[in-house]
Amino acid sequence: MAELRAGQRLTGDRAEGPARRVAGSETVARWLGRVPVRFRRAVPFGPRGDLRRRLAGRHPWELGYDLEAPPTDGLPVGPPDFIGVGASLCGGGWWYGLVAAHPGVADRAGRPVGLHYFSHFCTRAFTTEDGTRYHRWFPRPPGQLTGEWTAGYSAEPWVAPLLAEAAPEARLLYMVRDPVERFRLGLDRIAESRVPNVGAAVADVVDRGFYAVQLRRLLEFVPRERILVLQLEQCWRDPAGQLAATDRFLGLDTDRRPPSVATAPPRLPPAAPIDPSVTERLTDLYATDVVDLAALVPSLDLDLWPTAGGSGGPGRARGR
Amino acid sequence: MRLPRLARAAFRKLSPRSRSALLHRFGMFAPWEGGFDYSAPARSADERIGPPDFVGIGVQKGGTSWWYELIADHPGVWARADLHKERQYFSHMADRPFGPPEVATYAAWFPRPTGTITGEWTPDYLAFPWVPPLLAAAAPAAKLLVLLRDPVERFRSGLSYRLAQGAEPSAATVADAVRQGYYSRWLRRYLDHFPADQLLVLQYEACAADPATHLSATYRFLGLDDHVPAGLHQTVNPSGQKMALEAEARQRLIDLYRSDVGELTRLFPTIDRSRWPNFAPGSG
Repeated sequence: MAELRAGQRLTGDRAEGPARRVAGSETVARWLGRVPVRFRRAVPFGPRGDLRRRLAGRHPWELGYDLEAPPTDGLPVGPPDFIGVGASLCGGGWWYGLVAAHPGVADRAGRPVGLHYFSHFCTRAFTTEDGTRYHRWFPRPPGQLTGEWTAGYSAEPWVAPLLAEAAPEARLLYMVRDPVERFRLGLDRIAESRVPNVGAAVADVVDRGFYAVQLRRLLEFVPRERILVLQLEQCWRDPAGQLAATDRFLGLDTDRRPPSVATAPPRLPPAAPIDPSVTERLTDLYATDVVDLAALVPSLDLDLWPTAGGSGGPGRARGR
Repeated sequence: MRLPRLARAAFRKLSPRSRSALLHRFGMFAPWEGGFDYSAPARSADERIGPPDFVGIGVQKGGTSWWYELIADHPGVWARADLHKERQYFSHMADRPFGPPEVATYAAWFPRPTGTITGEWTPDYLAFPWVPPLLAAAAPAAKLLVLLRDPVERFRSGLSYRLAQGAEPSAATVADAVRQGYYSRWLRRYLDHFPADQLLVLQYEACAADPATHLSATYRFLGLDDHVPAGLHQTVNPSGQKMALEAEARQRLIDLYRSDVGELTRLFPTIDRSRWPNFAPGSG
């Protein structure tokens, strides 16, 4: 795969490829996808989801998604070599596309970028067979690497031990961005989906910005040297340099990467503005976590996070 | 009256999601839903308004409806049936400016005659990390109550409940149910904004075993005389059918919560771990 698949969008969970559909429902799914957004939203959030699941199948992050992998076509399978674990809405889809464009990486049509495999095991035992089934999602020609990027993993604290068990050698990629900016994008998503229970949805958005908490949970099961923390703002500023660092971390030959690959970042939809007093409250809310993250990730450049304590911002994170 | 009865029966047959979608069409929203109208409720001549005297902050599926009704049964407590026990006011405030007008709006939701106290109990507040500073600004003198339950049992009950109520059957819903069980992580945020003696930590299992003793302690904490309500042992808002939780997954959750429960018992030594079988001393 040389570029992002058609229909993929830039960030986080929305960068998943098309979900697998239930048998015989592809046409319905295509048809549903063509219904203009304003008509789709005319159906309320709850019944809309029920209808889509019934007619067009489930998304990989929905309970009941069929976890069985498509046929491997005789290719060798095994644990993925890399897993993007988060954070959602932080450009993971963009970065996965760039990584997968390397000739040494095998991508696979039909596998969502975000498999959400471990997301399904919070209340279930994770057996050896579940691990083997996970591996079957990753066929690759000999000599090539392969992986997935599920932005939700880092925010699902039950995932870390399962991931360490099923892919003990995998290298993890964790992309973060200014948490206040992430919050604003998350709010836009809530407004788009018109989910009725606003508090729970906002709590989810807020929680995913506590990066250090999530990273510490991963570190309970994965050694630090197997996790690369990327900063989206640094990737925007210097995509080629950050991509080369990613390649080196994954053991990919940087010389084999076509120089044109690390293109300028896709344009972002602007998040709705929030009141400065709200920004200040959020800065306070995240301050301790940002300080902790900076301690865990020395390469983090806080100057690029004005609202989280960088230059030009309130400076709280630095002061504490 | 045949049609309304048929309509009511048809309404009950709808899924919870379709039921609320229909109510929304008629402009009817629950306090936890986006469209809820926070215009001040009407009050009678003898009612005055002001910040609540007590606020229950947690936890979902921790027996809070039962305990709130027991508190409301006290003659010194004013609880109007037309005002939901969960005001949910701060649930809507994460992305909004919060100043004197918002403080005044919140206070308007607590009418009571002179000589009585009043309050609310929104179990969601505990794990909404933006709430403590706002609550401290709007009700700095309010006494806080939290009713905790074995976090693994709470998870199971809470997730089953949310799904039955029509929450999205997604990993995010599961993650939300897990998140609510980090009691000490969330309570520490409240202790940043309220003195420790303004918070009463109760344990659901202890209250269920000996409601009279813990209710007396609750009344004392709220500055009320002792009182014995009629429905002391009545079940309120029961849990319904709970989802399966496989043994290995249960153990994973116990491991996940262990350090938080340890921190909780250090912060609040009255928590009796032996009442939480998943975390009892010596249970590994």
